[in-house]
Amino acid sequence: MIFDDLRAIQLRYGFLPKAELEALSERSETPLYQIHSVASFYPHFHLAPPPKADVRVCADMSCHLNGASEFRADLEQRFLKSAAADVLIRDVSCLGRCDQPPAVSINDDIFAGVTAASAEAMARSAIRGEAVPEPHPEHARVPCASDPYGDDEKYGVVRKLARTKDWDGVLAELQASELRGLGGAGFPTSMKWDLVRKQPGAEKYIVCNADESEPGTIKDRFIMTHLPHLVIEGMIVAGLVTGSKRGILYIRHEYHLQEEILGEELRRCYHEGLLGKDILKSELAFDLEIFVSPGGYICGEETALLEAIEGKRAEPRNKPPFPVQAGLWQKPTVINNVETFLNVPQILARGAEWYKTQGKNGSRGLKFVAVSGHVAKPGVYEVPMGTPMREVLFDYAGGIRGGRPLKAFAPSGPSSGYLPASMVDVRLDFKALADAGSMLGSGAIVVCDDTTCMLDMALNAVRFYRNESCGKCVPCRVGSQKMTDLLVRWTQGGLAEKQYLADLALIDELCQAMSLTSICGLGQIVPAPVQSVLKHFREEIDAHVLKGKCPSEICFTAAARAGEAQRVGIRP
Amino acid sequence: MSSISRVPELVEITIDGRPVEVAAGTSVFDAARMNGTPIPTLCHLQNETPVGVCRLCVVDTGARVLTASCVRPVEPGMKVVTNSEKVLQARRTLLELLMADHPSPCARQENSGDCELETLAKAAGITQSRFARRTVSHGIDDSSLAIAVDYDACILCDRCIRGCNEIRNNFVLGRMGKGYSAGIAFDLNAPMGDSTCISCGECMVSCPTGALTNKTVVGTSITAGPDAQGFQAEELLQLSVFKGISGTFLELNRGAIVKRRFQPGEIICREGEFGSTAFYILEGQARVSLSAPIAHVKTQGGAKGLFKKLTSTLAARDADVRSEETRDRTIPIDASVDLAYGNPVAELGPGDLFAEMTCMNFYPRSATVLAQTEVVAFEMLRNVLDIMMKNKSFRAEIDQNYRRRALENHLRGVPMFADLSPDFIEHLKGSVELQRFAPGQVIAAQGDAAKSFYLVRIGFVKISETYPGGELVLGYLSRGDYFGEIGLLGGGVRTATCTALDHVEVVRISGDDFHNMVERFPSVRQGLEVVAAERSAQSQQRMQTVRRVPIDQFLSQGLMEAQSLLILDLQNCTRCDACVNACADAHDGITRLVREGLRFEQYLVATSCRQCRDPLCMVGCPVGSIRRRNSLEVIIEDWCIGCGLCARNCPYGNINLHPFEVMVEDLERPGRKKAVVKQKATSCDLCTHLKEPSCVYACPHDAAHRVDPRTFFSEMLGGGAAK
Repeated sequence: MIFDDLRAIQLRYGFLPKAELEALSERSETPLYQIHSVASFYPHFHLAPPPKADVRVCADMSCHLNGASEFRADLEQRFLKSAAADVLIRDVSCLGRCDQPPAVSINDDIFAGVTAASAEAMARSAIRGEAVPEPHPEHARVPCASDPYGDDEKYGVVRKLARTKDWDGVLAELQASELRGLGGAGFPTSMKWDLVRKQPGAEKYIVCNADESEPGTIKDRFIMTHLPHLVIEGMIVAGLVTGSKRGILYIRHEYHLQEEILGEELRRCYHEGLLGKDILKSELAFDLEIFVSPGGYICGEETALLEAIEGKRAEPRNKPPFPVQAGLWQKPTVINNVETFLNVPQILARGAEWYKTQGKNGSRGLKFVAVSGHVAKPGVYEVPMGTPMREVLFDYAGGIRGGRPLKAFAPSGPSSGYLPASMVDVRLDFKALADAGSMLGSGAIVVCDDTTCMLDMALNAVRFYRNESCGKCVPCRVGSQKMTDLLVRWTQGGLAEKQYLADLALIDELCQAMSLTSICGLGQIVPAPVQSVLKHFREEIDAHVLKGKCPSEICFTAAARAGEAQRVGIRP
Repeated sequence: MSSISRVPELVEITIDGRPVEVAAGTSVFDAARMNGTPIPTLCHLQNETPVGVCRLCVVDTGARVLTASCVRPVEPGMKVVTNSEKVLQARRTLLELLMADHPSPCARQENSGDCELETLAKAAGITQSRFARRTVSHGIDDSSLAIAVDYDACILCDRCIRGCNEIRNNFVLGRMGKGYSAGIAFDLNAPMGDSTCISCGECMVSCPTGALTNKTVVGTSITAGPDAQGFQAEELLQLSVFKGISGTFLELNRGAIVKRRFQPGEIICREGEFGSTAFYILEGQARVSLSAPIAHVKTQGGAKGLFKKLTSTLAARDADVRSEETRDRTIPIDASVDLAYGNPVAELGPGDLFAEMTCMNFYPRSATVLAQTEVVAFEMLRNVLDIMMKNKSFRAEIDQNYRRRALENHLRGVPMFADLSPDFIEHLKGSVELQRFAPGQVIAAQGDAAKSFYLVRIGFVKISETYPGGELVLGYLSRGDYFGEIGLLGGGVRTATCTALDHVEVVRISGDDFHNMVERFPSVRQGLEVVAAERSAQSQQRMQTVRRVPIDQFLSQGLMEAQSLLILDLQNCTRCDACVNACADAHDGITRLVREGLRFEQYLVATSCRQCRDPLCMVGCPVGSIRRRNSLEVIIEDWCIGCGLCARNCPYGNINLHPFEVMVEDLERPGRKKAVVKQKATSCDLCTHLKEPSCVYACPHDAAHRVDPRTFFSEMLGGGAAK
């Protein structure tokens, strides 16, 4: 595998020296351009020697709301006199530590909840060549309602299925439960599995998408930490039902701890005969392995993820065909989110009827949501589907930090756009949120109090997409940059009304073109945060653009300008 | 069973309300195109697999989003709308996005008015984009001789990439990076000219914009002339050397290659002339020779009178041997053979390429080539030669030719290799490797592990050492010179950096072969060690000087470059010009000394050969006749053909060309001689035939001195201790 080769080289030299890539090209009979096009795509790989301390500060929603910009500026001050070869401080996209902001990565190890002083100390250790290991705190498993086993023997569903081989029963139960994909798109799970099952041919794949990278999304991290057995069991069931022999769990590379936990669980499964060539002596076979992502939000797009597994640039495919027809290696493939697989064992163990009663107000099942931003108790909560957002924010997450008023919330990271406080009674439900002009998505609730500038938040979201666009298609590659340019101009104020109106019309055209013509969900969703802020917080934008005033006093400060100067234009 | 071709299943769809029937599997794009509704596109080419990245071909099929028609197969009952306002508006926005960053008019638009992006944008009424322009340029790449790259004009349509990999199977071009900073790259993001690109031209003919365009050599057409026979692209494609090259690309380069027919006795090219073409012989035999007399300018001082002057101007080697002059050396010329000193004539035949250096590096022609029989040859300009040289089978042929015909001479041309046994040379013929380097490319870097030994075949190699604060040029090596022995004989580490100054080709002898050679042939080892020791000592001496005299002004005036300076102490000088007159007297009435020049403190540095450390005069000599003696004195060897390049290259104006009338064989009328004027270059020879330079001797005021600036100025300036 090309990534294994590249990682081995990087481990040895700290980066990918040209001569080593040339040798790899010869050894693996892979053209140089192919190696380079892959190595240059993923931020994980360094084509030039990195500094001794490669410090990257998370710049996205939850960290941004919790002073990441100020934190970064402070850190930069502390290293003003350091040589470029010693330390480089720059932004990084969401590291998946939204509950403990701000997060930094130092030489690819991640530290959450740091202060400028503690980050400085770690960076200085790294400069001295000392190891700065990532802390892996004790992770006592939290009991969850979704776990049908508790302290009893696990994998009961697989054990039973290995005897009964009642695949139709599984599909019927899943259909009755009305389980929908919980990664964002909400496609009916039973239908997806059935489509793959009915595809001809013996080579089929089960892929678990554990690449959650959307700012605010940390629920899969929680699930993999506390309920790894349910995710694996869900995948085994999918494999048995669809007749696939091989499963791949695709995990983002920033989840070192979860990688270990899952690895341990897999070893246990193989040891107990739950995985392998002859599962529990049933003559059924299913192998499962972990694939560590080489990095990037785009890898969460299901076809981009498949491309990454195939060792290519993670560029989304044109659809159709869909993965159920032509997925991994062009074979029928089930791709589901971590949480979707998690739900399967409990539905099959407890029955679809039981599952449906777990919801509230007419909704079905339980949902893991991550609450971050300006809340008193950020974290992941297992809540009944249909719970009003107010309850999630104020009862589960302890309300707004410091008792301040709620201004806005994103039901699912930047992709869902921002809803105003007046809509806080909306229920956590596919349809209710869609009706509100938003979406349930992955349940990454990001909360903004009254000190937040919504134009700044829109810009923050668009910049995230700009940074994470794969660059394959024109609307997303160019459009996300031009959208950023337009918003940056707005945060700087001083436009004549005529120009502002022209800008509004242009942004509207751009939003249309991006949602209508982009290849994948990333490009299609880029307009969401801007459009929602234009819809719900228009007066704030007007104040910026026409009066040169940021009502929250965030945008026109010297610090904001200095930060902007570093971010405008092309990423390094 | 007999094979029956199945009639493809037909699918019925509507396009803009019109029902049409097409074969199953047809793309919506093709279905529309075949039914008279062409859809605009930038990333799709009919001969390439569609990728659907420009999104310009989007159509409405009633789904939530629009669909790219080039990658969407038709489905029964599909209702396709290609021209609704929604679709047209989306396309306009896409064009406006691309135009924001497009350097309009791009090279393609300017050259041929057919930039596809600009054409489509204009048709959509977009002249100026409302979006902000890109702030950081992606730059250009001028390294390829045949193709110009403007990364700012690249719209990442992927057409070049598919052309390179899918159509030509050359596997050089790919995407690199991600998002807005993504771009195209050759190999590991190498400059195109240094990459494994073979200049097949497919990328360039695939490119819709001015990102990849044909580079035309200024005033390219060499197809003029009565005997010239131009080419059609199809004719060229028949030739094996152009296998795999894009026809369109050859069409564009048509003016840069011509087939010529030379009658017996006709001159194909003449030594000393400037040119820009190379020749490749297809049929017939030609003779390559030097017509300049093999002699040097002899400069007897003090003699007066007509008779003396006539006899003293040109002296052949056997009549006047100069110390440290090369013995028994072959004369390197710009062809696959070298000429013997004693009889500078050789034969060229089918498959021989000559004037490669003239073509690639624009050096004067090194020899005269005369058709013996009827000769048919290609004459080509640099861009075509470059395409040919990148063709693997042609390269192999040239390589083979070189190994067979020239390698032995080339090796034996280096005096210390004269003792190599025939079997060892046979072995080397099989194991050496010919390597090419582009201008500026580093062949071996100071500090690197020494793994090979090199002989220069074509071009000039700069040898330099870095010292804290700068770089010192140790010398320029040209054909017949070698380098790399110090590292191999010494500590195994390169002591200097060797950089290609122009298009360089070297013969690489592996470290193993080199060690075998010095083990088997002690005399070779001895010879190499002597030279290595000399080279090391010289560079050490220089380095010491550099460390001692770090005076900016001194360096910037080029005085550091000098080995031997004529300085006039202005406190004593009365401007009587006795020195100038003495020089003229010593050198056939032509002075090589001018009493003008830079001033440094109370000294005037007169204009006369400085025997520079960085002897730029040596760069480009087509026959390698200007070189250093081991004393570092610059010497002009007897086979100077009088092209005058060294005189032009000397930054101090200190090389003169002397015209002489000589009788030579008339090539156009064999067997007869005619009088022609030949030039020979001369430079200050320090009057080595006298006790001290005439100019110094002649100065009545003790103002003129020949000094070594390293010691002279360092004593004067070294902290002021020594006055």
